Amino acid sequence: MEKEGFWGLQWQSTGAKLPPELNSGPAASDQLPQCFLHLNWKQPMAHDADFESALSSLVSSPCSNPPASADGSGIGELIGRLGGICNSNDISPSYRYRSADASCYGTPLNSPPKLNLSVMDHRQQGRGGPPMPVNRVPGPHLGPLSAEPGFEDGAARLSCFAGRSSGSFAGQFGFLEPGNLSEASRSESPKAGFGSCVGVGQNRSERPAHLETEMRSTIGVSSTAEKSELGNGPEESSLSHRMTAEASSLKGIADNNSGKWKTAAKRKGREAPLSSSATNPPANMTEEENSDAKRCKSADRNGGAKNAAVKPKTEQNGDPGHREGKDNDHKPPEPPKDYIHVRARRGQATDAHSLAERVRREKISKRMKFLQDLVPGCNKVTGKAVMLDEIINYVQSLQRQVEFLSMKLTTLNPQMDVSMENFLPKDMYQSRGLMPQPVYPAEIGTVLSYAHQPQTIALQSVMTSGLEAQFSLNSLQSSLRQSQSMQHATTDAYTDAPSQLGGLWEDDLHSVAQTGFGQNHGQTHTGHMKIEL
Amino acid sequence: MDSENSACGNPNPNPTLGPSKLMLAFRFLRALSLVHRTTPASSRTCRGRRIERAAYASMAYSAGTGRGWSRAVLRRLHHRARRRAVAPRRLSTTAGNRAEALRQLVPGGAGMDYCTLLEETADYIKCLSMQVELMQGIVDSSSSYGP
Repeated sequence: MEKEGFWGLQWQSTGAKLPPELNSGPAASDQLPQCFLHLNWKQPMAHDADFESALSSLVSSPCSNPPASADGSGIGELIGRLGGICNSNDISPSYRYRSADASCYGTPLNSPPKLNLSVMDHRQQGRGGPPMPVNRVPGPHLGPLSAEPGFEDGAARLSCFAGRSSGSFAGQFGFLEPGNLSEASRSESPKAGFGSCVGVGQNRSERPAHLETEMRSTIGVSSTAEKSELGNGPEESSLSHRMTAEASSLKGIADNNSGKWKTAAKRKGREAPLSSSATNPPANMTEEENSDAKRCKSADRNGGAKNAAVKPKTEQNGDPGHREGKDNDHKPPEPPKDYIHVRARRGQATDAHSLAERVRREKISKRMKFLQDLVPGCNKVTGKAVMLDEIINYVQSLQRQVEFLSMKLTTLNPQMDVSMENFLPKDMYQSRGLMPQPVYPAEIGTVLSYAHQPQTIALQSVMTSGLEAQFSLNSLQSSLRQSQSMQHATTDAYTDAPSQLGGLWEDDLHSVAQTGFGQNHGQTHTGHMKIEL
Repeated sequence: MDSENSACGNPNPNPTLGPSKLMLAFRFLRALSLVHRTTPASSRTCRGRRIERAAYASMAYSAGTGRGWSRAVLRRLHHRARRRAVAPRRLSTTAGNRAEALRQLVPGGAGMDYCTLLEETADYIKCLSMQVELMQGIVDSSSSYGP
């Protein structure tokens, strides 16, 4: 295939150059990216098979001679290259890489393909090569690459990771940003980087993750190796954070990028502690994180979108950069950023601001849905504007209704004065903290007897009217109980009422008994009756 | 209503559950009786406005102070009571922006962000509809058998 052939060619050529380049140091590093660029540019989407073959060829070439120190850088470079190539592909190729790499280096690098994207971008940008068709890779910024010393450190770290990590890395390492590796090779002291990263790497069992994140950070941003945990897992992110922190602190470059990376890592969500650890680095890191987060979209493979977003948000309130939580970058046209967007969680922006906006938008839509249920006849309406209009109309109509009914009530029920006081049972007063109203047992009797006749009708009307059934039932129930326990002369009045109403409401009243009304309220009954009159 | 304002003790203890209908009815009926008792029958409009104010007051008290709109209503009522002003008319002018119109409708909506405004609107609609239901029931029951 064309690709294959091309790749083979390129790989071979680059591979051949690698050893000398690797050993040459900074000067060589520049050349390497070029090679990578060539490779990457023409092969935006490398097929797995091609990849593997290319990888093996690439891998084998540096294998032959790199010295111990160069090994790391060389490996890093290769990995970076591989990563770059694999960027376009998804994870699957990364795994393949693993096997290819493992054979040669035996370094387990499990960097997700996402890293590649970032690397690729770097390359492209720096060289001005054709933009990678990979969606994930926005306009790369290779330019800053060379400018960043930090990048080298990051790359160095990555490479050291590679060396130290176990077999898992092998496949993934390739995905790490090749840019990092190239930078590492460029740096004058890859060994130093190794040493530092070694120490760091030790702490985490997830080397690949760290390495990956490191790679990503270096590549994605202009070179601060932000270790966003691009997606390998919490440990990785934490480690990566640390690494990035160091890198960023060292370089202080690509603030934006590193910030993003960090945020991306944090977003991974799990790591609330990670993010906190990541926050150790200087303030610039946070900004970087923001930028990095965008890039590190890929980090969130686990897909805990919401949780991740919310967690970092809540945990890092003070750290806007860590808000990202879930970013996912499905939109190919990345906003104008300097970093490469790694494949992030789906559906969420990586920016702290966009994350907050997203949460806010979700809150608003939730409330709009609730309002839709509340306002009658809004089910068919779609769209916020129309819904809002409906809501406004409904509120206006309700207010007009209140006004109208109050006008109507001005002429009604002049007889409610006395009964109002006895309206509710004393229990209710006490339980709700209301002022106890005076009870006039005499009135109750008179009222009851007075309201004796129309009471069924009135009560029924009340029931059928818009009045709350619970309200009337409770009052009736309490009054009934009261009346039954009363031993006054007016008992007959009481009994009349219950007997009349009992048939109607007994069952209902009993069912409503849970309101907790006491058994000594008779006033409500009378009050209720009165109202009807 | 002054009586309404002063007579009510602890408002609804469960603002999240929404106002209790029973409490609402109780408060409103009590205030209604008070209005009928205190205002002369000649001033119908005055009484009408007082009843309307009583309705809103009972609504706000039932809703409790956990809601922004209920607090705004009570605040407004207290100020009005002090200054002896007429019941506030909630005019909803045709605002170009719908959010603005909603803010004018919902009491206390001017100082809220959009998200909170929606939440308050939902609660306000709930309470308003309960109040309307109650008043309608009273009117229906009393008009059927009243003189």
